[in-house]
Amino acid sequence: MAAVAASAGWLLRLRAAGADGPWRRLCGAGLPRGFLQSASAYGAAAQRRQVAHFTFQPDPEPVEYGQTQKMNLFQAVTSALDNSLAKDPTAVIFGEDVAFGGVFRCTVGLRDKYGKDRVFNTPLCEQGIVGFGIGIAVTGATAIAEIQFADYIFPAFDQIVNEAAKYRYRSGDLFNCGSLTIRSPWGCVGHGALYHSQSPEAFFAHCPGIKVVVPRSPFQAKGLLLSCIEDKNPCIFFEPKILYRAAVEQVPVEPYNIPLSQAEVIREGSDVTLVAWGTQVHVIREVAAMAQEKLGVSCEVIDLRTILPWDVDTVCKSVIKTGRLLVSHEAPLTGGFASEISSTVQMKGLKHKEV
Amino acid sequence: MAVAAAAARVWRPSRGLGRAGLPLLRLLGARGLARSHTHRWQQQRHFSSLDDKPQFPGASAEFIDKLEFIQPNVISGIPIYRVMDRQGQIINPSEDPHLPQEKVLKFYKSMTLLNTMDRILYESQRQGRISFYMTNYGEEGTHVGSAAALDDTDLVFGQYREAGVLMYRDYPLELFMAQCYGNVSDLGKGRQMPVHYGCRERHFVTISSPLATQIPQAVGAAYAAKRANANRVVICYFGEGAASEGDAHAGFNFAATLECPIIFFCRNNGYAISTPTSEQYRGDGIAARGPGYGILSIRVDGNDVFAVYNATKEARRRAVAENQPFLIEAMTYRIGHHSTSDDSSAYRSVDEVNYWDKQDHPISRLRHHLQSRGWWDDEQEKAWRKQSRKKVMEAFEQAERKLKPNPNLIFSDVYQEMPAQLRKQQESLARHLQTYGEHYPLDHFEKQVPPNTLRSQAVLEACSARLLHWAGSLVSPFSTLSYTVFSQGLGEGTSGTGHP
Repeated sequence: MAAVAASAGWLLRLRAAGADGPWRRLCGAGLPRGFLQSASAYGAAAQRRQVAHFTFQPDPEPVEYGQTQKMNLFQAVTSALDNSLAKDPTAVIFGEDVAFGGVFRCTVGLRDKYGKDRVFNTPLCEQGIVGFGIGIAVTGATAIAEIQFADYIFPAFDQIVNEAAKYRYRSGDLFNCGSLTIRSPWGCVGHGALYHSQSPEAFFAHCPGIKVVVPRSPFQAKGLLLSCIEDKNPCIFFEPKILYRAAVEQVPVEPYNIPLSQAEVIREGSDVTLVAWGTQVHVIREVAAMAQEKLGVSCEVIDLRTILPWDVDTVCKSVIKTGRLLVSHEAPLTGGFASEISSTVQMKGLKHKEV
Repeated sequence: MAVAAAAARVWRPSRGLGRAGLPLLRLLGARGLARSHTHRWQQQRHFSSLDDKPQFPGASAEFIDKLEFIQPNVISGIPIYRVMDRQGQIINPSEDPHLPQEKVLKFYKSMTLLNTMDRILYESQRQGRISFYMTNYGEEGTHVGSAAALDDTDLVFGQYREAGVLMYRDYPLELFMAQCYGNVSDLGKGRQMPVHYGCRERHFVTISSPLATQIPQAVGAAYAAKRANANRVVICYFGEGAASEGDAHAGFNFAATLECPIIFFCRNNGYAISTPTSEQYRGDGIAARGPGYGILSIRVDGNDVFAVYNATKEARRRAVAENQPFLIEAMTYRIGHHSTSDDSSAYRSVDEVNYWDKQDHPISRLRHHLQSRGWWDDEQEKAWRKQSRKKVMEAFEQAERKLKPNPNLIFSDVYQEMPAQLRKQQESLARHLQTYGEHYPLDHFEKQVPPNTLRSQAVLEACSARLLHWAGSLVSPFSTLSYTVFSQGLGEGTSGTGHP
């Protein structure tokens, strides 16, 4: 009796709260009443699911590349792939689930537009995807491979490090797989836990022969991806997955290139150099603004963009000016890429002091 | 109301619903519940047939009501196709490939020249002249029979024991030696261990040490050939040991699902270093795996050069015509040690090795065949042995005398263009050698360029590398025309959308 009264009263409260919309939907699905209660029923103590806290900061609309369109990051990737397949008849895109558009919608519409021999699914096998891509590239055709999450790139590590990276060197430049590009969603998304959040760039930074690139925004992504595809070396392009939808800005419709191995100083400053890549660039930008406001500290912010080969000169030039360096990245601290940057900068810094 | 109550009984909602549930159900209406029933079931397909047939998307098969495990057949495995008996006599005349004398003599000379080169280079390693070597003893038939069945421009991906393929394609002895010695004539610029041959002109992709990595790569190359309408097949060689690698599974599966014109050629020679096949697999070898992937497969006598030839020829014809993979498992025996770092008497008997050397060798089988046809005799044999040995010795002596490549080449070709960090490392080495050069055998290397001209040297190298790359792009692995020019079927200027 009491239970019935309580549940009836509770139902009325929900209706009053206007929360019965989802409640109705739940009921329609046949779930027994009382099984799932609206989160607000728990009151103020309720925990909202936390997502990563940063604000994507779009760059000003580019003017030098013609007409632009509002795109998020996955749409910018689609645009780059569309441009590539249109320009290069040998280019093909393949990986798990790319045919229907991809789990992050990066390849939507491309199969219909370019045909099933150019945009196709492969079996579920990362070592096969990369090995297959290397083989296509060896013949001179353009291979754009997708690894569904950077967390799953490790089965392909042998093919990337022992084969792709060394193809040109070991053959004395008789053969190469320079027209291979591997794209993969990268980095924290909030709920990804161990296996949908990794940033493995440090593993690949230790491998001469490949290039590793991480964009911070849709405009950067399209230009950098096009450069990777056209680059004559095998490239890995990591796409910050949290930015796929969260990052929206004006992106040129026509193809354009952003050079690889060039870091970008996105905020000038005099007291400290802050280096980051991918999502963390936006965190660091906020930090720079806060530091100025609250501490009166002038920060120079650098987006590294290319992890390998990285732009030593830009970073060192900045640190020589400011005298201080802070590198921030998502990946584990020990052996993370910050250690390469800091040790190189310190070595150059000491030399600079000697002079 | 009655309907709603009945519906409530069917549903058996949780106790919390109680009497308050009926008004709720009335709100929804029995129709609302019924709608949700239908909605869920509507998601399943409608079947026109009332037959009790399986509808699973994952397999096309009948039902069975008897519990039975499929027995793998290893007692009586896939039969071994052969054309000649062990004495070189054709068993079934209809299987005789009727090759002209010239061609069969080329088979014989390629196999024996390889054998001679193997003996001399193996010896040279024992004497400390080269660092490492791998012989091909006993497997010459697999190389030559298959190479002869291909077009010259078919792309070859090998493992490391396929030198006979290059020999058949007339790769000069000088270049074999150059790679083993790592001298200035080596096309690979002296970077790899001996026997890691490669030749762009002869469409033989450079060998790498990791096993089976070439298998999915070969599949990708075959896919590109299909797209280019190149009418080329890709052949991929590997041993029965390498077939255990994940890359092999990946390659087979991709080739079948993506319909690639590729021949998978497995040399089953009984051993992976010391590991016998009984410890490598429990199924019926490699050929039995093909059908598991949907691949047409055959097992052949690898020591019968005509059987290898016939199987490869037919596989090639069909792979190109039908865009599907073929698997050939060539049974043979590794007569030599795995390499100069191995002494196989540690894991197999000398008697076993002698049996294969004396009783079932591809070279002697072919020689018997040639002799029975009157195409060869003992005198020619003697003369050829002398001649081939002389050729090999000449190339060998020349290779020994040549210098090693300039140490600057340690840093080039890592990328197409040399990045700043590598240039700095190159300059650092040059400075080191300037100061400490006396501790290094610099006389054996092509002359070191002085550091102050290093930058211009690097620029020169970068320019010439670009020129070579541009020139190289005109010689695709598939033809002497550039890839994009060759692939007119892809809609560049010519008819249609070009989708094969």
